[in-house]
Amino acid sequence: MPTVTSERPKKFDLVTKILANEQAAQDHYLLRCECPEIAEGALPGQFIHVLISDASALLLRRPFTIYSVEGDQITILYQRVGAGTDTLSHLGRGDSLHVMGPLGNNFSIPPNLDSAIIVGGGAGIASLMLHAAALRKLGTRTLGLVGSINAARLLSVADLEAIEVETHISTDDGSIGHHGFVTEILTQILEQPQVYELHNPVTYACGPYGMLRAVAKISRKFRVPMQLAMENRMGCAMGVCLGCVCKVRTPDGGFEYQRVCTEGPVFDAEDIVW
Amino acid sequence: MENGSASLETNVAGIQMKNPVMTASGTFGYGNEYSDFIDLNQLGATVVKGITSVPWPGNPMERIAETPSGMLNAIGLQNVGVDGFIEKKLPYLRDFDVPVIVNICGERREEYEEVTEKLNLTNGVAAVELNISCPNLHCGGMSFGVDPKLTYQLVKAVREKTALPLLVKLSPNVTDITVIATAAADAGADGLSVINTVLGMAIDVNTRQPMLQNVTGGLSGPAIKPIALRMVWQVYNAVKIPIVGMGGIMTSEDALEFFIAGASAVAVGTANFVNPRAPLDIIHGIRTYLDQNGVRSIADLVGSLQT
Repeated sequence: MPTVTSERPKKFDLVTKILANEQAAQDHYLLRCECPEIAEGALPGQFIHVLISDASALLLRRPFTIYSVEGDQITILYQRVGAGTDTLSHLGRGDSLHVMGPLGNNFSIPPNLDSAIIVGGGAGIASLMLHAAALRKLGTRTLGLVGSINAARLLSVADLEAIEVETHISTDDGSIGHHGFVTEILTQILEQPQVYELHNPVTYACGPYGMLRAVAKISRKFRVPMQLAMENRMGCAMGVCLGCVCKVRTPDGGFEYQRVCTEGPVFDAEDIVW
Repeated sequence: MENGSASLETNVAGIQMKNPVMTASGTFGYGNEYSDFIDLNQLGATVVKGITSVPWPGNPMERIAETPSGMLNAIGLQNVGVDGFIEKKLPYLRDFDVPVIVNICGERREEYEEVTEKLNLTNGVAAVELNISCPNLHCGGMSFGVDPKLTYQLVKAVREKTALPLLVKLSPNVTDITVIATAAADAGADGLSVINTVLGMAIDVNTRQPMLQNVTGGLSGPAIKPIALRMVWQVYNAVKIPIVGMGGIMTSEDALEFFIAGASAVAVGTANFVNPRAPLDIIHGIRTYLDQNGVRSIADLVGSLQT
């Protein structure tokens, strides 16, 4: 399967204004800003690196995948997990935001792809939305498997349905959709692909490490190619600090540490050493 | 240079520079990573990521953690090795008018010697920075830099192998940095890089696991600036060779503190991770300060601390 090596857009580092920063679900926010430079080149799976505050107590920037692009505007969908994202969640319309991007590589679509399954765990769905839109634009039949802790934290289902992605929901507590893991739905679908009108599908996934590993195992079992977006802790996002690496197989049978910010965030699942 | 402004040009340890601001080892890659953001030709010098005799894979994840006003790293000197550096990385940098200083590291003296000899034969290397202070190696690295005898022996061995300007990067993880600084100077170092990262750690209380897989790592960023500044001042008062000051420099004011404490040049490190234009902003800020205060050259500021 061809992994993606399309030409990368030029990177920008600029200060922009927040247009909206609204709660999308419990502990999750959708932030929209005007960023023509980044919007123009952004590819599905790419991310921006955000300076949360000029106060140096929170020293490092935070990476967020570009969730959607509309004209000159981009949005990110993020979870409030720590001090950085908590500060971010309190910003509002008119506040300035220091962003760098678009960064990293992107998801690829093999020629003549008939159908696709996107699998998002928690805020991981944010990395897949732009790609889902690209797939649907090509008319590719796309299933969206969306996993969440509970109904209150469920993300993006309406956005997926708006672009005619057939969604399947799972929650850990069963408050909506399948009671269990999103990986169980994936297994069920891949056991009977004809029932779901899937022909030689590709899986695209983003979410917690354990979920990605499980999705990779299932995809491999059913011989379905899989691309995944890694979400490692990141330092510079410019490829120099070597802090965000993951273990990737090399042709000689060994491995090397590759940078999620530069060689990734999208990897072929077969290349990852779990 | 801007009309009528002070001279930022300087020669430190035999390295001729347009201005006294470098990028610190391991924080600026091999230059090409920043090409979308800045003009490399404006830098005083660039110090490349630590190079070893053979490629090193680096440490497993997690490798970094953010701490208040700082970050910990335990990268483990992942690098392409000296041959890979010369073949694949140096040609890009050679095209710029900026001195390239190569940081070298190893586990044994012979490795430092081997890397040095290869760099001797390579065009486009302005100086060698001897890393005797990497805290993330289980042998070599910092173990040289915490013992004055080993420091002396290693610096002397490398000194005998090269006519290139030789900087020695000191570890702050010692009882008295002036003892190590003196050993390096006595062994023939042309200059000292002060300081490398400060050994530290962080713990996730929910899992009771260390934030870094290596358990401990090197602390950098604004959190260590006062320590670095104090050590630059101590070393300035103990040895005659020039000092490249580094440790948490984010702004031109930070850099100016280092000059006043005794540094002849400064290196910008962790700031590059946050602001790719940090070195250029700092150069601009230094020039403005010199002009506004009637200081004619950067040399007039070095060690000008009023006590």
